[in-house]
Amino acid sequence: MSFLRVSPWSALKIAVGAVYAFMLTPILITAVVSLNATNRSLFPPQGLSLRWWGEAFSPEWVDPLIFSLKLSAVSAVLSPLMALPLTFALVRYTFPGRQALMALTLGPLLLPALVTGVALLQFFDFMGWRAWIGFPALVAGHVAICLPFAVRTIAISLTTLPPNLELAAASLGASKLRTLMEITLPYIKNGIVAGGVFAFIHSFTDINLSLFLVRPGEQPITVKIMGFLEYGFAPTLAAVSVITLVLPLILVLIVERLTGLGNFIYGGRGNG
Amino acid sequence: MSKAVSLQDRRPWLIAFLPAVFLFVFFGLPNAMLLSISFLKTEAQQLTGELTLDNYVFLFTEQTYLEALLRTFFVGVSVGILDVVLAFPLAYFLVRTNSRWRGLLIALALAPLLASVVVRTYGWYVILNRFGVANDVMLWLGVIEQRLTLMPSTGAIIIGLAHSLLPYAVLTLMGALGGINPSLEKAAMSLGASRFRCFVEVVLPLALPGLIGGFILSFSVAISAYATPAILGGPATQVMATAIYGFMTQLLDWSIGAAMAVVLIVSSLLLFYLAARAGARTASL
Repeated sequence: MSFLRVSPWSALKIAVGAVYAFMLTPILITAVVSLNATNRSLFPPQGLSLRWWGEAFSPEWVDPLIFSLKLSAVSAVLSPLMALPLTFALVRYTFPGRQALMALTLGPLLLPALVTGVALLQFFDFMGWRAWIGFPALVAGHVAICLPFAVRTIAISLTTLPPNLELAAASLGASKLRTLMEITLPYIKNGIVAGGVFAFIHSFTDINLSLFLVRPGEQPITVKIMGFLEYGFAPTLAAVSVITLVLPLILVLIVERLTGLGNFIYGGRGNG
Repeated sequence: MSKAVSLQDRRPWLIAFLPAVFLFVFFGLPNAMLLSISFLKTEAQQLTGELTLDNYVFLFTEQTYLEALLRTFFVGVSVGILDVVLAFPLAYFLVRTNSRWRGLLIALALAPLLASVVVRTYGWYVILNRFGVANDVMLWLGVIEQRLTLMPSTGAIIIGLAHSLLPYAVLTLMGALGGINPSLEKAAMSLGASRFRCFVEVVLPLALPGLIGGFILSFSVAISAYATPAILGGPATQVMATAIYGFMTQLLDWSIGAAMAVVLIVSSLLLFYLAARAGARTASL
């Protein structure tokens, strides 16, 4: 090796650079393609134009985008809300049927979302709930597949909570409810928020489950893009892709900021 | 005392009642239904009450679907191997580097997870289609004289999926490699082991659970992926996910669709079981 004058660490760095290039090139190319002046997805773009970006903001694309945002927002709220009692039961108690409840909770993580989508389509059909296909069915499915993520993050914060904190509150005369509201919940708040963020992202990027539960006018942006791809590729898609890529990124950055801030405020009050 | 115990037993169920019912109704029950439908006959696009094993027999004997099944697993194995090989140097670097850009580099490696697979696969279309970047570059370099058809193909599906699932493998391997004490490597080398020997005899065995975990995770997600095979593949390169979609929405034979879905379920559970037996640790998001 020494005759090459390349240390193993430098060789590693070169390999790492190559892997990053593999990871990021398609995404960068997508962004550049959206600036094409022609109606084909060419790289490098032939002429620069923002016309496809203008088209990306037409109702044809904005409507499914808003639908996706609504769906993900509802999943992001409902998943941690449902995960909270579930996690308490699973982490704090040993009881008959705990294994079954655990399997039911983690099931959506082990079974492919595609299968759950198929199962839900058949289920809604056989129950005579066909009218629910669309937003309601999508919410049910998305919450089911996002729940395990929220359970995981909440379980992590709950198991790091020192038991003495709750005991101290109780010995100082706080009721169970007050201990829960003023000690436990604030302590695991970050786990709840993280669960919500994961749920949002998982829901916003899902295609495998959503595919089966859409109806005209009620489809998330990923399904809309998929459907459009069958008829051909256009630079509009690249523009829409960039938008759907940037939105969750902004959300993560904002929440990062906010929860950091929230911690700070809570810490200050705790000291006082 | 026994009364207190039974109350203790019931309390967690009371606490978790609503979410448990929700999961039972919208996850447990539909999947149980799916399993039963896979044993029922569909005639003229209508489900009948007749019990049968024909759906499974059809899947495993009809050449198109047998091929789809085999292709799915070939894609899964290839993606698993490719991702572990690509993720290993990256994860090792991210765990060991002292660079002040470390945080940014980790974020960059995981950021693709924020984008939908549909979006990430679109970039590969732009690269791999007949008039795409890959053909342009190879023509320019003189490697080829005529444009090649790089997609639709199984290879394109493998590349697209390996790209989509790489962050999962990186995450899993970072967990495994982060647990290896760097002084072990130093000790091995100070005792005279070459860097290569140290890597093979110290790092690799300790990283094995992570390697298996990363492989299984990529494998299991790859075999149920729909978008990438649908975009980068075609009618001649069907996989199970695209075939299931066809049965559910176009051919309207829900029995065979359900049977295929059951095959996917069994494969996934088997993979996770094997992973657990191998002591693998997987990080899923």
